[in-house]
Amino acid sequence: MPVEVPVEKWAGKVNEVTLGGNGRKSIVIGGETTLPFLKIDGAMPHRPAIAVEVDDVMPADWSPHLIAAWGDALKDPAVWAKKAAEYGADIIVLTLDSAHPERGNTGAAEAKKTVEKVLAAVDLPVIIIGPDVAEKDNEVLIAASSVGRGQRLALGNCVDKNYRSVAAACIADGHVAIAKTPIDINLAKQLNILICDIGLAPDAILMDPTTGGLGYGIEYTYSVMERLRLAALIGDKMTSMPMICDVGEESWRQKEARATSGVPATWGDHQERALAWEGITGVSLLNSGADIVVLQHPRTIALIKDAISKLMA
Amino acid sequence: MLVIGECIHVISKEVKTALENRDKQFLQTLALHQIKSGAHVIDLNIGPQKKTGPDVMKWAVQTVQEAADVTISLDTTNAAAIEAGLGVVKKKAFINSTDATPERLQALMPLAAKYKASIVALTYSGGGLPTTADARIELASELILPVAAELGIPIEDIYLDPLVLAVNCNQDQAIITIEAVRFFKQMSDPPPKTVCGLSNISSGCPKEMRPLLNRVFLTMLLGAGLDSAIVDPLDNALMDVLRIIDSQKAVTPKEKLYLDLYNAYAAGTPFEPSGVDMNIAELRDIVKTVLVIENKTMYAHGYLRL
Repeated sequence: MPVEVPVEKWAGKVNEVTLGGNGRKSIVIGGETTLPFLKIDGAMPHRPAIAVEVDDVMPADWSPHLIAAWGDALKDPAVWAKKAAEYGADIIVLTLDSAHPERGNTGAAEAKKTVEKVLAAVDLPVIIIGPDVAEKDNEVLIAASSVGRGQRLALGNCVDKNYRSVAAACIADGHVAIAKTPIDINLAKQLNILICDIGLAPDAILMDPTTGGLGYGIEYTYSVMERLRLAALIGDKMTSMPMICDVGEESWRQKEARATSGVPATWGDHQERALAWEGITGVSLLNSGADIVVLQHPRTIALIKDAISKLMA
Repeated sequence: MLVIGECIHVISKEVKTALENRDKQFLQTLALHQIKSGAHVIDLNIGPQKKTGPDVMKWAVQTVQEAADVTISLDTTNAAAIEAGLGVVKKKAFINSTDATPERLQALMPLAAKYKASIVALTYSGGGLPTTADARIELASELILPVAAELGIPIEDIYLDPLVLAVNCNQDQAIITIEAVRFFKQMSDPPPKTVCGLSNISSGCPKEMRPLLNRVFLTMLLGAGLDSAIVDPLDNALMDVLRIIDSQKAVTPKEKLYLDLYNAYAAGTPFEPSGVDMNIAELRDIVKTVLVIENKTMYAHGYLRL
């Protein structure tokens, strides 16, 4: 008996956002007219991208497995970024962590130097993330913005407290803003409205819905992303931005990825368990609509790359 | 629709002070103001008032009754205060409110029976909030109405409240609440009455947007059969909408739109905004608000700007 496959015809389309260009490699993100990897209903014209985190200072609290995997590269963001490119990164995420008031409190001058150095070291598209303190974010992101003028970086995080200045820098220097909200569909849409009101084009915005790691709220993130994507496909222009998820950071900070003692033997080999935490978080969020996953471990890069290839096939 | 005026509410600082100081004039003025604006019932929300509840309620009821011959809604979680109020009311009063938990039902339903009062019953039984219209019906038919029937309370004295949640947090619940009202009215013949705390719908939304959400939501609820609502009668625009619906007379395009919306919901047919002139801001805003309440457009504080 022939089975008729029910096909959903969506009216909406996720925006296509370009990063890089102007001498730098460029990549197009988004463009879906269907739910993730569901090619029966529509098209997924661009593969989800793998971004790899590079910090401007050696991370103080990273897992020994991450430190062992990257070695001395962690001491120099330019070397680290090159290595990440070799491991298969599509995008470099440079985090200006040293600008945090409690972790060095560096300013615009240092940020400029670091960004210049990393931009010179790799030809991949680059995302710059501030230290997650609104006023320091403004300072270093605006500095980064002018250094990277015309190279279509993505700048984040653009939150309710600082969206005006980050969006203005993006407009002035031709960058993309990463609009981050705390796991809430209504707030995500509202921030997009506010950023567009300032005059930044909708195709110069990525959404970060805030990632809950496996066991630490992943189901909330999954559901929020799913609902944002469904709204986009129905035709809501203010939820049609591609989504970026900070998978590495949120996976490697959790107890299951960190604990080496005092846990049941059934938890298994520590490194394999930690890698599984990052891998499962990443694959889950790709399935809820992530267009960019930010990763930390080289082996997860390979694993997610393979998963994406299979899901796209 | 029966208008229950919500302005005498302990959350308001002035009301709280007036209750503490036994400021008769303040309370009477606020009651009269609401009655003049169209309130049929004056709600007296005195808070839990653990120690002095009965005294405060008795005083508040007598104070309002001194100024006006009006129905009183006794609004507190303190059952002793409710009984004190029931002892002095001159007209059939409202008990506001019980829910579907055994403790509240056992404390309040017998009072409704004893004093022949109307009683507001929230379809909530502790734990998680009901997420479907069916869950609300179930709470009403399995927990609330049987207790009332056993005590001999006429079903018309039961005011089922489907529990309005903020569209800002639980957007999908708005239309479900409307459907629950429709089902409540089909439960029996005669059916139970229905009521809701209207302004909950816009809780957490920007202040300037709340009245529009309240008005549109009320119009839809009335279409579904809502009998009464706890509202701010001093909101002139809201009361205007009530008058339009009550009189079934609309002159301006805005009034016609409210009436069309009401009639669509009353007929149980989909509201078709296709004929609305979307170039007129006030009409466009009403249509956008309907789409938000129907969960067809995702809510964001800036939804009217899109």
